Amino acid sequence: MTGAGPATAPVPLLSSITARSTRHLQKGEDMAVLTAARTRRRLAPYLFVAPFVAVFLAFSVYPLFFTARLSFTNWRGSGAAEWVGWDNYLYLLGNPGFWSSIGNSAVLWLLIIPAQLVIALLAAVLLDNAKLKLRSVYRVAFVVPFVTPLVAIAQIWVVVFDQDYGAVNGLLGLVGVPDVGWLTTSEWAKPTLALLFVWKTTGFIVLILLSGLQSIDANVYEAAGLDGAGRIRQLWSITVPLLRRTIMFAVVLQTLAVFQMFAEPFVVTQGGPYGSTTTAGYYLYNHITRADLGTGAANSFLLVILVMVLSLAFVRLLRAKD
Amino acid sequence: MHQLTPTRATRRRIARRRGLTVIGGAAILALGLTACGPDITAGSGDGDASAGRLQAPDGDSPSGEITIWDRSGDLYEVFDAAIEDFNEVYPDITVNHEAVDIDAKLQNTLITGTDVPDGVFLDDAKVAGLSDYMWDLSDVLDPYVDDIAQQKIDVNSIDGGIYGVPYDSNPGLLYYNATALEAQGIDATTIETYDDLLAAAREYQEAVPSAKPIHLEQSAFLGQLQLEMYASQLGTSLADADGELRLDSPEYEQILGFLDTVQKDGLGTRAEYLTPTDIAELESGNQVFYPWAIWFSFAPQQLLPETAGDWRAMPLPAWEDGGARSGAMGGSSFSIPRDAENADLAWLFYEFLMFDEAGYTAVWGPNDVYPNGLNTSIPSYEPAADPAAPLFEPVDALGGQDLWSVATEASTEIPAAAPTPSWWAGAVDYLGNDVQRMLDGELSPAEVLEKSSADIQANLIDRQ
Repeated sequence: MTGAGPATAPVPLLSSITARSTRHLQKGEDMAVLTAARTRRRLAPYLFVAPFVAVFLAFSVYPLFFTARLSFTNWRGSGAAEWVGWDNYLYLLGNPGFWSSIGNSAVLWLLIIPAQLVIALLAAVLLDNAKLKLRSVYRVAFVVPFVTPLVAIAQIWVVVFDQDYGAVNGLLGLVGVPDVGWLTTSEWAKPTLALLFVWKTTGFIVLILLSGLQSIDANVYEAAGLDGAGRIRQLWSITVPLLRRTIMFAVVLQTLAVFQMFAEPFVVTQGGPYGSTTTAGYYLYNHITRADLGTGAANSFLLVILVMVLSLAFVRLLRAKD
Repeated sequence: MHQLTPTRATRRRIARRRGLTVIGGAAILALGLTACGPDITAGSGDGDASAGRLQAPDGDSPSGEITIWDRSGDLYEVFDAAIEDFNEVYPDITVNHEAVDIDAKLQNTLITGTDVPDGVFLDDAKVAGLSDYMWDLSDVLDPYVDDIAQQKIDVNSIDGGIYGVPYDSNPGLLYYNATALEAQGIDATTIETYDDLLAAAREYQEAVPSAKPIHLEQSAFLGQLQLEMYASQLGTSLADADGELRLDSPEYEQILGFLDTVQKDGLGTRAEYLTPTDIAELESGNQVFYPWAIWFSFAPQQLLPETAGDWRAMPLPAWEDGGARSGAMGGSSFSIPRDAENADLAWLFYEFLMFDEAGYTAVWGPNDVYPNGLNTSIPSYEPAADPAAPLFEPVDALGGQDLWSVATEASTEIPAAAPTPSWWAGAVDYLGNDVQRMLDGELSPAEVLEKSSADIQANLIDRQ
């Protein structure tokens, strides 16, 4: 603590300097070293976060402000933009197409989230069972759709769900069910798209739930077993309550994904038939492709507000239960 | 020492102050950066920079490097092969030929002005929407403009300027399964009007009860494109030369009435263009009439092995006796961005491809990609589209028919047109969907016209 380093040694740590007795300080040189070290210490955290801040400013903050500004103009990508005030927002809020896209996303949410949670929870519980043979094979099988490119899956979907020559109608035909226009009728396009989404992303939710399950103490199950609780009772009374935070996290993630869903309808149905699979994300994209950038920007802000409200609602729900 | 140690509250205050400083700094920086966006005007700014008219380069041996964007696929290969011929004429111009997803990339590239290509392949329907970024080619096209199909000049013309070098003509034709029809004693070549077509379809259906002889397009986008082909035959289109909507008209009512009849009388196969259902119905002989652009010729050549050789092409039926026997369906052009580094050299490339015999022969004539020539379109440059001097050979999948002469003669029947409005593709959400609703029996032709007109006006035109 008291030993001073040689004068030619690298700049010592501030702690070692401050620990010195001031009487050992050779005023000019050591004060300069002290100041430099203080400056470096003060700057170090900022320098460490600087790369992130630069990227965050360039790709998040700047686009956010730019979009906010754009949403009050009628800019179409070239020339000067005309200030239109709240026109873009009022147009969207009064437009049936906008509300229809929100409605489509809400219906998809209802079709996807509950079913996906049940499937993912059951799968995670099964995969968490150490006695299960070929467990790693099943885990991989669940994750494969998640890592498979959507375009490839979408092409399979189009072929499998073809009304006249698809495998699904072929199988249903064997038991006398008439052909269904899975992708060509407003009634069935949404469930078919929801099924695609569930199939593609459930593996990811299973992974999240599995990580949550592994944090539950096995002794809790053991104690419950001794008290006579069966598997179903344990699932309902132990697993689900203790996984509540993980489940809520998954719900918030998937809510964001469903309301921003774009690639699935873009590849499989192009938003049709008759706009029945035009999700909020796809509707937003339509403005961009028409170079109606101002309306697109306003639409994205409305979507951000909606998603934020939903996320906050889930968080409040979680806190209330706590 | 104790007095020098900050309390928790003080630490919190300091941290809060620092946090606010950082957030404030970030906000100021972001706001400052936001000013890098477009200028905002309070009034009705014109939004467009003054149009520039491209001039051909001076000098006998122009040199430099150009980047040309084309779609990936066979057509890219065709243009790629033609570069060698171009370099025989212009040895000092290097062509960087890139296969690009143009729909996805071009708009952003033009807005940012970064890595802008010197020339780009564009759907005719997209030219108007991007014309602010493109050179007006009126001056360089001036020596050729009288020899280019008027319809192609019209669709590329905006406010007196021409923003695309016309590439191909896509005349609408009636493809029919001659073998299947002849087996039932029907001679399709006698069909002259759409009433004749309906009569032939009914006759065929009587003989083949499972048949739904006429194709009804189920894709909203392609359905609207086909609708415009029919409209083009009648000399009209969604918008007039001033961009005013003219959908609610007797011509469109006539067309929709025809489609409605085909559907209601059970004469139509509703399917998306060349999807498995469509192909199966074509192969089975249930679907024997396909009114479509010349590019349907691709199907018998590559997708219909069972009936290849049975198909033929003829001009479309007319809407009334003596009416035009074809209309335009689709088509593409080449545009040259104003931010291009060597726009004048790109013009030389396109001039060679479209107006030089060596160039258009390289594109449409027999080549490594298409040994019999490119027979899915014809040149829009009339000296190149001479019925007596075919560039591509007869098509085996059409029973050895001389598709060149059928298509080039049909193309002369296409009436003049108006520019394709920039909102055309957006109209699919309204008109394209409403036509499908009509085929579902939900809307009448009159309701389609009324509803679509109102929606297009409110959501697309009024928001331009």
